[in-house]
Amino acid sequence: MGQDRETPGTADPGETPAKTADAGTIELAAAPDLSAADVPSELLAQSLGQYIRAWLLRIRGGDSGVLPVVMAIVIVAVVFQIITPEHAFLRPSNLVYIFGLSTVYMVLAIAETVVLLLAEIDLSVGAVALIGGVIAFKLVQSPGPGWPWWAAIIAAVVVCGLIGALQGTLSSRLKIQSFVVTLAGFLLYSGILIIVLGGADGFVNLSSNLTNQRIIYDMVQGVIVPAAGWVVLAVVVVAGGAAVWLRAAARRRRGLVAPPPSLTAIRIAVFALVGVAVVIICNVNRGTSLVSVRGVPWVIPIVLVVLGAWTVLLERTRFGRYVYAIGGNPEAARRAGVSLVWIRTWSFALCSATAGLGGILLGSFFYGEYSTNTADPGQLVLYTVAAAVIGGVSLFGGRGKAIHGVLGGFLIGGIAYGVSLLNLGELATPLEYILPGGVLLAAVLVDVLSRRGATGSVTRV
Amino acid sequence: VSDVTANPSEIPAGTADAELVDLTAAPEAATVDVPPELLAQSLGQYFRAWWARVRGGNSGVLPVVLAIVVVAISFQIANSKFLSAQNLVNLFEQSTIYMLLAMAEIFALLLGEIDLSVGLVMALGSVIVAELVQPTGANLPWWVAIIVALLACGGFGAIQGTLVARLKMPSFIVTLGGLLILEGVAIIVLGGTLVGIGNSGFHNEVILYNIFWGTFSPVVGWILLAVLVGAAGVGLWLQDSRKRRHGLETAPRSLTAMKIGLVAAAGIGLVAICNVNRAHFGRIEGVPYIIPIVLVVLGASTVLLRRTRFGRYVYAIGGNPEAARRAGVSLTAVRTWCFVLSGLISGIAGVLFASWQVSLTTNIIKAANSYVLLAVAAAVIGGTSLFGGRGKTIHGVLGGLVIGGIYNGLYLLGVSSQWIDVVVAAVLLAAAVIDVLSRRGAPSQGT
Repeated sequence: MGQDRETPGTADPGETPAKTADAGTIELAAAPDLSAADVPSELLAQSLGQYIRAWLLRIRGGDSGVLPVVMAIVIVAVVFQIITPEHAFLRPSNLVYIFGLSTVYMVLAIAETVVLLLAEIDLSVGAVALIGGVIAFKLVQSPGPGWPWWAAIIAAVVVCGLIGALQGTLSSRLKIQSFVVTLAGFLLYSGILIIVLGGADGFVNLSSNLTNQRIIYDMVQGVIVPAAGWVVLAVVVVAGGAAVWLRAAARRRRGLVAPPPSLTAIRIAVFALVGVAVVIICNVNRGTSLVSVRGVPWVIPIVLVVLGAWTVLLERTRFGRYVYAIGGNPEAARRAGVSLVWIRTWSFALCSATAGLGGILLGSFFYGEYSTNTADPGQLVLYTVAAAVIGGVSLFGGRGKAIHGVLGGFLIGGIAYGVSLLNLGELATPLEYILPGGVLLAAVLVDVLSRRGATGSVTRV
Repeated sequence: VSDVTANPSEIPAGTADAELVDLTAAPEAATVDVPPELLAQSLGQYFRAWWARVRGGNSGVLPVVLAIVVVAISFQIANSKFLSAQNLVNLFEQSTIYMLLAMAEIFALLLGEIDLSVGLVMALGSVIVAELVQPTGANLPWWVAIIVALLACGGFGAIQGTLVARLKMPSFIVTLGGLLILEGVAIIVLGGTLVGIGNSGFHNEVILYNIFWGTFSPVVGWILLAVLVGAAGVGLWLQDSRKRRHGLETAPRSLTAMKIGLVAAAGIGLVAICNVNRAHFGRIEGVPYIIPIVLVVLGASTVLLRRTRFGRYVYAIGGNPEAARRAGVSLTAVRTWCFVLSGLISGIAGVLFASWQVSLTTNIIKAANSYVLLAVAAAVIGGTSLFGGRGKTIHGVLGGLVIGGIYNGLYLLGVSSQWIDVVVAAVLLAAAVIDVLSRRGAPSQGT
């Protein structure tokens, strides 16, 4: 897809795409509320100062993007760092563990985001994820099917995608509410899951001695050696930075609206700094004195690839624009010629396919063992929806990004692990439930209250 | 109610099973003429009008009643014990919690909202009631424990309702957050240990135990039935004749008589079944207390929704909140109260749950989570719409009976619980498909 495919839209200020604070892309998401307003001042900002002033103005106007969840992550980190015994919360080993723990919530929340953007809901993501994980784990068993790891993963993702396509078809063609379809799906797959596992005590596990199975086992547990981590980081930062820079320059050359060069430079620098910090943290030895464990876990690039793919899909392609358009106003989208049935069906299919991948990662996080105790599909889906909403995705459609799912999932994983560090005894388990619930309510409350200040936004009666 | 019916231009749509005014169907029917049932003068006319309405897509409880019949016949063929008196009572016991939670859920669904916390509110109610009667702990009388539990559950509903109604937070999220918080609270109240009410040495625990497991003696069962049918029959008949005297549209007399006859026949069948000795050793017979408890909740909520201003407001908001607001309905108050009622009925379910389980551990959290989804499923299977404005609490009872029947029947056949989930999922999907397809045939309805 060409870099400038969406520029005709940007070129005409009358079409009022709203620019977001954290990316140079066009976000149709915020557009429904703003469509009657003028062009956001950020788009017209020529200098860094103007841009930051415009951004502050937008936040005060109620459209705060990822800011609340980032602040929540900072607060949670600081609080737990202070109250955990020996101030252990921010130790590199713990941070890496939290990322592994959060992986499944991050990936499932990204998956759920596309469905939420359509103002639909998928209650089956948890069960579909577990189905995907079990399929992949079963297929690489030897003795057994003994499929190569990549074929097993593809098969699991495809099967989950087909499940989603079926749910999407039922929901979009027959117009059965997605809530009911996916609720039935949840019950169905939860039952099938136990049957496939071979009863309530059944399990399937991977051997870390067989190379083929070792690769799936390593998706969360494996690490990139420290030196390679630096090389990969350098390549990613240089390639990403060059792409962003060249794109902004190309736009400026053609006289299109583009952020000031200083802002682009700052973004690249921040990205590089975060990358360096992550690699440094991951390269600290987190093993014991006997066995050293160092290096970036594979799961970090895996999550980044999923995030990147979804971000491109949602923000750079026609499909993504249609998703936001349907979420904003389905009737308007239909009249503009968007096929609601196809977009909805594909969204459910892609959601479930991504969930299947999340399930494989979940099994890998549990040291390659899948049993009925690995995860409760009901709790998984509740946490997933909570993660997406805490991250900033609206339940009413048209508002949200893939990155919101990642941040929300990280927050939930951080809280869960932080509580477990506290030596609370009997209170630990209840707090693991209460805190995410409280954070969820607080996040939505902030969202609701901040939107009251928003210009021209529609609130329900 | 009658003054609303008096003016045909206000077009309340008559329902198949009652002569009450049904504002539920009204939003879509608003431009249509008065339903022919209301004008039917003879029994024959009435049935023809009813049949026309069913074919028109407004089938009321018919699909779920058919589902119950299908479930009953198929399981009876597969296992002749299914329709035995013992098993039917057992089936009702298994369905009780589904029925109550579905009724609680319907109060949220009618508004077009959802309450994901009903299962955990039930768990909260059950642990409170069990903890408060512990002789080694609070040692409160059983009725105080029940009142405290119901107040706590209703109070939790009030908090959720306030967040939804006043702060305009989405109910899905508020009750999801509430669910998560309650999981923690229930564990804290339980204190990490097992709590039981099965000690027959303590008066309070015995009474709590008997709420679910106790029965009326057979003779008392018959007397109660006679009083109930007599009172209901006289009430129905007098109401009808009063309407006729005032010149209002009324169902034909023969229909009223038939309804009373049906209620009496159903009651006699029920009491006869319950009065069969269902113990393998010794004697267990009589109508279990839970049947009148469910009937009282059903009756009270039906009267509240069908005969009071509050109920009409609930349907009005479910049909079109903006229109209701402009007509002067306080959305905030009605929404908050619906969540209070949802919490309260879940609390009643909690008291029954504690009595049913006898001892409670943290395992109830997992059970409560699956109850939420089954409660929504029961309401939808029963015929209540997820979009608000359409449904009755009887739908919850019938839908709960379907789910309980499936669980019971498959269990009798020795099918493991995971397959039961699969079947319930299929039934839920089927109910949704039937609902969607039948509504396509309905006149002048938007999709």
